[in-house]
Amino acid sequence: MNHSPTSNSATGKRYWRSLDELADTPEFKDWLHREFPVGASEMVEDGQSRRNFLKIMSASFAFAGIATLGAGCRRPEEKLEPYGKQPENYTYGDAQYFATAMPTRTGAIPLVVKSYEGRPVKIEGNSLYPGSNGSTDRYAQASILDLYDPDRARHFKHDGKVVSREEALGFLDELSKKFAAKSGEGLAFLAESSTSPSRARLQKIIADKFPKSQWFTYDAIDSGIHQRAATQAFGRPVKPVFHFDKAKVILSLDCDFLGGEDDSHNHIRKFAAGRKAGEGMSRLYAVESLFTLTGASADHRLRVAASLIGQIAQAISLEVFGLTLPQAKSAPVTVPAGLDAKWISECAKDLAANPGNALVVTGQRQPLEVHLLALAINSALGAFGNTIDLMPSSLNANGSVYLSQPAEIAGADLKNLDSDSIDTLIILGGNPAYNLNWSSKAKSVVRLGYYEDETTEKSKWNFPATHYLESWGDAITSDGSMVPVQPLIQPLFGGLNELEFIARIAGESQTSAYEIVRSGFGDTDENWKKFLFAGYVQSAKAVPTNDNGKAIEAPFIKSYSPPSANGFEVIFYRDAKLDDGRYANNGWMQELPDPITKMTWDNAVLISRKTARDIGVANGDIVEISLNGKTVSGPIWTQPGMADYSLGLALGYGREKAGRVGTGVGFNAYKIFFGKYIETGATIKKTGETYTLACTQHHWSMEGRPAVREANLDEFIKEPTFAQEKFHGVEPPVVQSLYPNPLDEAKKTALHQWGMTVDLNACVGCGTCVVACQSENNIPIVGKDQVKRGREMHWMRIDRYYTSDPKRKNNPSIFDPRSDENQTDEKQQFAEWIDDVQAVNQPMLCQQCEAAPCESVCPVNATVHDQEGLNVMAYNRCIGTRYCSNNCPYKVRRFNYLDFNKRPLTELKGTIYSTTLTHKTDGEWDLLRWWKDPNSGMRSEDEWDLIKLSKNPDVTVRMRGVMEKCTYCTQRIEHAKIAQKAKAGASDHVRLSEAAGTVPKTACQQACPAGAITFGDVSDPDSSVSKLKLLPQNYSVLADLLTKPRTTYLARIRNPNPHMPDYHDPFSTEEYENGSLTKKGTS
Amino acid sequence: MIFPKWTNSLPLVLLIGAGLAGGGVAAGVTYYLTPKYTRAGYQPVQPVPFSHKIHAGQLGVDCRYCHNGVEKSWFSNLPGASTCMNCHNQVLKDDPRLQIIRDSAANNTPVPWVQVHIVPDYVYFNHSVHVTRGISCVACHGRVDQMDEVREVKSMSMSFCLDCHRDPAANIRPPSKVTDLGWQWSTNAAEAEHLQEVNGKKFVHDWKVESLQSCSACHR
Repeated sequence: MNHSPTSNSATGKRYWRSLDELADTPEFKDWLHREFPVGASEMVEDGQSRRNFLKIMSASFAFAGIATLGAGCRRPEEKLEPYGKQPENYTYGDAQYFATAMPTRTGAIPLVVKSYEGRPVKIEGNSLYPGSNGSTDRYAQASILDLYDPDRARHFKHDGKVVSREEALGFLDELSKKFAAKSGEGLAFLAESSTSPSRARLQKIIADKFPKSQWFTYDAIDSGIHQRAATQAFGRPVKPVFHFDKAKVILSLDCDFLGGEDDSHNHIRKFAAGRKAGEGMSRLYAVESLFTLTGASADHRLRVAASLIGQIAQAISLEVFGLTLPQAKSAPVTVPAGLDAKWISECAKDLAANPGNALVVTGQRQPLEVHLLALAINSALGAFGNTIDLMPSSLNANGSVYLSQPAEIAGADLKNLDSDSIDTLIILGGNPAYNLNWSSKAKSVVRLGYYEDETTEKSKWNFPATHYLESWGDAITSDGSMVPVQPLIQPLFGGLNELEFIARIAGESQTSAYEIVRSGFGDTDENWKKFLFAGYVQSAKAVPTNDNGKAIEAPFIKSYSPPSANGFEVIFYRDAKLDDGRYANNGWMQELPDPITKMTWDNAVLISRKTARDIGVANGDIVEISLNGKTVSGPIWTQPGMADYSLGLALGYGREKAGRVGTGVGFNAYKIFFGKYIETGATIKKTGETYTLACTQHHWSMEGRPAVREANLDEFIKEPTFAQEKFHGVEPPVVQSLYPNPLDEAKKTALHQWGMTVDLNACVGCGTCVVACQSENNIPIVGKDQVKRGREMHWMRIDRYYTSDPKRKNNPSIFDPRSDENQTDEKQQFAEWIDDVQAVNQPMLCQQCEAAPCESVCPVNATVHDQEGLNVMAYNRCIGTRYCSNNCPYKVRRFNYLDFNKRPLTELKGTIYSTTLTHKTDGEWDLLRWWKDPNSGMRSEDEWDLIKLSKNPDVTVRMRGVMEKCTYCTQRIEHAKIAQKAKAGASDHVRLSEAAGTVPKTACQQACPAGAITFGDVSDPDSSVSKLKLLPQNYSVLADLLTKPRTTYLARIRNPNPHMPDYHDPFSTEEYENGSLTKKGTS
Repeated sequence: MIFPKWTNSLPLVLLIGAGLAGGGVAAGVTYYLTPKYTRAGYQPVQPVPFSHKIHAGQLGVDCRYCHNGVEKSWFSNLPGASTCMNCHNQVLKDDPRLQIIRDSAANNTPVPWVQVHIVPDYVYFNHSVHVTRGISCVACHGRVDQMDEVREVKSMSMSFCLDCHRDPAANIRPPSKVTDLGWQWSTNAAEAEHLQEVNGKKFVHDWKVESLQSCSACHR
């Protein structure tokens, strides 16, 4: 028999998932060989043994038996309560869709939101929007959970006491009158940036009416720097829009445009469009310090400290100017020590060789001068009008009213914020007490906020804000179209709209947000309706104003000394999940694995392997970082690909007052943050304590099988079928089964056969699909302690594999990076290669195998095939043996251990988990509550009511003890089929067709910004999925197991530059080639 | 004497006791656990004594006049009181039995109707796909047009659903006759049966009726 090679076979490891795996530690082996981690089958870590568990269970059964006698005899009477007045044009049970938009810092995401019986349940991108593929980012997907957050601010409060809405509004009117008399002297506003034209107009009214008032705009994460730089360089209010799809060569200077930058979903879409495998595919160079999603997608990645990137930009600019501007004086190019000058010169040559098709982007954390330098390079490369458009960012020509006010982070502007002259400070959103070094001397702080958080305590007046799904508003997208923010539901807790709040302070007669937005829109009612229906209107002003060839003076970047053990560099970055901390109380976001570190429920001090060895720390060791006299402590996490002596700190954690989910999660990096995202001169000290981080990285390792296949572009062009051919011999041959598959018979009569492809070349691993799936399929969160035990419930995950140079493998010592013999020159060598890793992402979800191994082991037939090729799960039949999960080679099945849907958010912390016998809710024993209402969970009333609102009624909410997994969104398939059949009536037009647009999209496919996921009918030769499956780079994962997966993958293609010094085949394929493949199959 | 006298009757007592207990268990299982008896015959008292017999039977109001979502949604729709008032603002406008309806229409407070036909939450039954494809209301709800107060006549169990899904030809009819509860292919019973068989098979074939029996058809 042939077996797939395992990681420790002679043929060698291909991919490693974490440093521990590479180290091949016994702990890791243990992880690998257990399906679930140690203790996963134990109820709790300590205290409760199996024996105890049995005692408790028998007691529960006894109680349950007694309860059944009383409650079970009578069938409950259920009521059906129809409307008193039947609403017109509304069919109960049919979903309604409304166009709206989620405002972001520098734009907005056009959305279509699905609503059932007046409650929004699922957020999707607006595919009508020009250029959009109907995708969103992960924040937009998760934002619906914020709407139903039980910890939202619910009351108007004065000095901590609840006051009536009328009283609070009366106060605003008084405030308005008081300051109108003083022309606004002593009145100040502190707002987050916004692109709302209505807010901009109100701001103008405030400025006119209260000329002495002050308006500060701040964002804890500054995305406005692109606009500020362009405005400065061109001398007029403009903001750049990047067209990654038009670029052939892209250079990212510390710019995580696929991850941490604003508008990333648009960037991903455009980037993926330019990366279609084949001739003309774009090339990405990344220069960065953190290992980001952009770095993971890059063809060439230069690992360098963030503070040195300005100098690299300078060196590249000199090279580019020398090549493109013959008249330019050639200045000597100096390259920071330790870097390969050839990397820079070849990169510059590649850029210069593609005039009009090159693009240089700078990260938002880089200082302004680097941005200006990048604009100068772009100008020299003829990028403006081609790969960059400059859009006007002002309402009027003189630029006095910005559509999106560029934010300031502790800039000169904000220095006045704590001056004595401020009498009343109005805070619009944001959380300055947490994320801004803010100590107000204002006599009175009035705050409009979504949560009762850190800032609430420092405010005299607190107004609850509305969610964007509850309020009228408007916004301008990054490409200049106007979009409506349309409410889908009345404010759940009677919050106040931001526009109404400002209008009241301005003393406007019209304070209704709807009227403000409507009058700002102007135009006819007919067009207004069209605007609300389509969800956008293209603005006449949204015309790019490019002047290419404008000479932008390139600033001189002064050189910094590289960070060292004496002076570390600290990089503060926008967290991929919590943003600046605003999603701290969003359980979906907390539990989403970080796209790179795969960490949940925590942040960490990211450092390189070399640095970790230098200071003698290992993962989980708590260190104290001192910067400018302030300190913060956090656990270490060694991140491959990190620049040496750089410390990566995610902002947004360590909230002291976030709510049931977010309070006390991680450490607060804002404590040492002073408005600069890159700081130097930090020191680090071991505290001796350790901390456990919950990463999903070890889980369900593929053990070195070629799950991800990749090749360079030239190789792909030469051998398009490499994904199938090249791995012959690496994987055992696929042999046909002796037995007929019953599905083959059932297929003949079925209307459709569903299948999916995932394009690994397009996927950047952003995680939007994971959140979308969670939202669509009612997937609960489980808490950090449970993630640690490997019990997370996500139906789809994104596997991130690192690869590294195989030639170094011959040195056995390098596989134990923590061993002492590495503290030599070997270590340097070792550090050099281990840190320059490549990464690939692979979305992994139920493969819907035609010959599914899970089905044959289910003792109760709970998982079986339907005639359309879906591997379906009948929850009611499942008795929870978990055999199916054991037998699943893809490890995509999830088991609900502790009834996570009914467990209160505060009870997700572990390690002792209460039961209904030991837990009280709202002051009443749960057993008693359960007696009265068997549906009631252990959740408190407010949590329970809201969680019920947030669930998708099309999908069963699974209970404890039941296996679950990806269903290909069977509810969407059935919905589409039923709609088609109802339309067909007495005819045979029952087949869904992609051409007619009746084939549904799965939630992940719908949300994917890159369009990497394609779902459809594989029995229809004209469907896109059928066509994709015919592509030569299409392959199945673990095909030799003869599972015949319906989900297949398109191999990844890299496009490195042959002239670059670090040109090589993808590390993984090099390894396969170097590995003695002939030894395969002998085991 | 080792055994007291009463032990003489012990075998009999044990036998009768075992019989009673066994019979009780059998009855309980039959009633509670076998699908055949689930809920069939359930006839709750409604807050308003609405008679389907009068409205649908005698007056001939089409089912879809009130249950207007039945062709569009999974839910057949329970009419709002405003629908009742379309007629009852003229007919029986002061009848005390209709007070709840008038209040409901005036104040927009719901009428607390008691649900008769219940399928579990994990069953995603869809009305629209059945009625538009020729499955009559009568197939599941019986002769509602002859009921004063609605009662459940079929078990609504999984086996009930599957019986029909395994043989849709036995129940399918022209979609135009779906709400005509008393409709037959012929007044002659034998001929009706024959025509049902012939036409049923034809419809199932011509309309590509799937009548799925896979889990995903009803459970999601």
